[in-house]
Amino acid sequence: MASADPFDSALDLLRRLNPKHTTTHLNSLISLAPDLTEDLLSSVDQPLAVRRCRQTGREYLLCDYNRDGDSYRSPWSNEFDPPVDGGASSAAAVPSDKVRRMEVRANEAFDVYRELYYEGGVSSVYFWNLDDGFAGVVLLKKVATPGSSSEGTWDSIHVFEAIDRARFTQYNLTSTVILSLSTNSNNLGDMDLSGNMTRQIEIELAAESDEQQIANIGKLVEDMELKMRNLLQEVYFGKAKDVVGDLRSVGSLSESARDRQAQKDIIGSMGR
Amino acid sequence: MASSLATVESFVEGAPPGELADVINDIKTLTVNEPGLISKLGPAFEKYNEEQFVTTKLPGSSQQVIISSHSALGDGRYFDVESSSSFAFDHTTQKASSVQSYVLEGSQADLAKSTLKSLATYAKEHYPNASYGVYPIENDSKVAIVIVANKYSPNNFWNGRWRSMYIFDPCSGSLEGSLKVDVHYYEDGNVRLLTKKAVSGSVSLGTGAGICKEIAVGEKKYQEELNRGFTSLSEGAFKGLRRQLPVTRQKIEWDKVASYRVGQDIGGGNARR
Repeated sequence: MASADPFDSALDLLRRLNPKHTTTHLNSLISLAPDLTEDLLSSVDQPLAVRRCRQTGREYLLCDYNRDGDSYRSPWSNEFDPPVDGGASSAAAVPSDKVRRMEVRANEAFDVYRELYYEGGVSSVYFWNLDDGFAGVVLLKKVATPGSSSEGTWDSIHVFEAIDRARFTQYNLTSTVILSLSTNSNNLGDMDLSGNMTRQIEIELAAESDEQQIANIGKLVEDMELKMRNLLQEVYFGKAKDVVGDLRSVGSLSESARDRQAQKDIIGSMGR
Repeated sequence: MASSLATVESFVEGAPPGELADVINDIKTLTVNEPGLISKLGPAFEKYNEEQFVTTKLPGSSQQVIISSHSALGDGRYFDVESSSSFAFDHTTQKASSVQSYVLEGSQADLAKSTLKSLATYAKEHYPNASYGVYPIENDSKVAIVIVANKYSPNNFWNGRWRSMYIFDPCSGSLEGSLKVDVHYYEDGNVRLLTKKAVSGSVSLGTGAGICKEIAVGEKKYQEELNRGFTSLSEGAFKGLRRQLPVTRQKIEWDKVASYRVGQDIGGGNARR
């Protein structure tokens, strides 16, 4: 394994170490292998930070895609905070007028989506131009109401490309959900159930207008989130619980073995 | 900034059940420029092995023995009551060698042996695959009890570990310790269950059977509580974060949502709440 790639090893480590502290591990890896900084920051999803837009007063989410140096662009005002000097770098970080118009529509649409599914939380959508289409990221974050004995945070990060083809648009979507849950009480002690899961999909759809583009992206994200929510439910509350049951059995093992044998005998006798 | 050694030590400490070798391989690839680093990880491996109750087979035996601070004799040697032996343990390779006879003597020897016997019966009833040990500690004044159960399924991308540790004080009859569960699932993601519960009780009849009865009652209660914890997180925090479907029980009509004019109040969304 001497020829293993350091970037692959870094990703493998992040897949193994406690996902609750991905940001800490990421910083450790960067200090250990500074060459990997850019690759890691652009490919490892971290919980999203929230900021309030100075112009509109609305909250928005921060990620690598709305960042320019130390400034972040608000999807509501299209302004950077703190403001960036005009120049090549900021021009590159802002979508073209046409794509910005779609971005505005997408933010409105996902604001509706957020309210219907999350009943709170924050959403932000960022688009950017591609040579043969456009790309974007749909972000959603919700923190469970504090005050109860259990805590929870949900971060959705959907990165997509919409590539123009002759008669349709090709969508490549990579979705990550970061879900942290924890609870504690005297009888239970501390229980932490945290992690992230990633899924990808590629699909070709007709898109003859900007509205249809946004509707397509909306449907793709909605279907993906439904799928991932079911998957998370299965892994967090099904699989994890089953593994605990595999480690230790609440009931007596000899009794359940006897029951199984008895059942076998009955089935065997019925067959005769 | 933390040193490279401190960084990789923290990676070792955080290795999930059954995945230490994978973590070490990753560290090796990431530190090819500092080839001496791995050889400095001895203390980190020792800490990991003792805290995780790593098990090893004695040469020529199929019985698993546990590595823990309670069974440490110093100089890299550990003892096991069941097999009446002591052995050298290599923390890097996790292999035992140089087995010697180690006959337990002293005032807690009988209690340790009878606890071990009761523990065997109990473990067989509730752990499909567990290792356990009982060790006189603190100048033969107390007894430490350790149970560790591992289940590794790397082909299916999950691994798990249950750890129980108790200290029994024959003078006061107190039984104190902790229960920890660590489950890792990593297919197209990284999900970790980490639990920790401090236990504190007293044993009225300070015999091996009495101690094990207290352990059995406490562990059953804990596992039932843990199962309720899954339910309450699922029904509580998880449901509260994101609905499976909107209140209307219908998916969004994106064609309508996407064609609202920008800036217009999207009344449909609000009215449906």
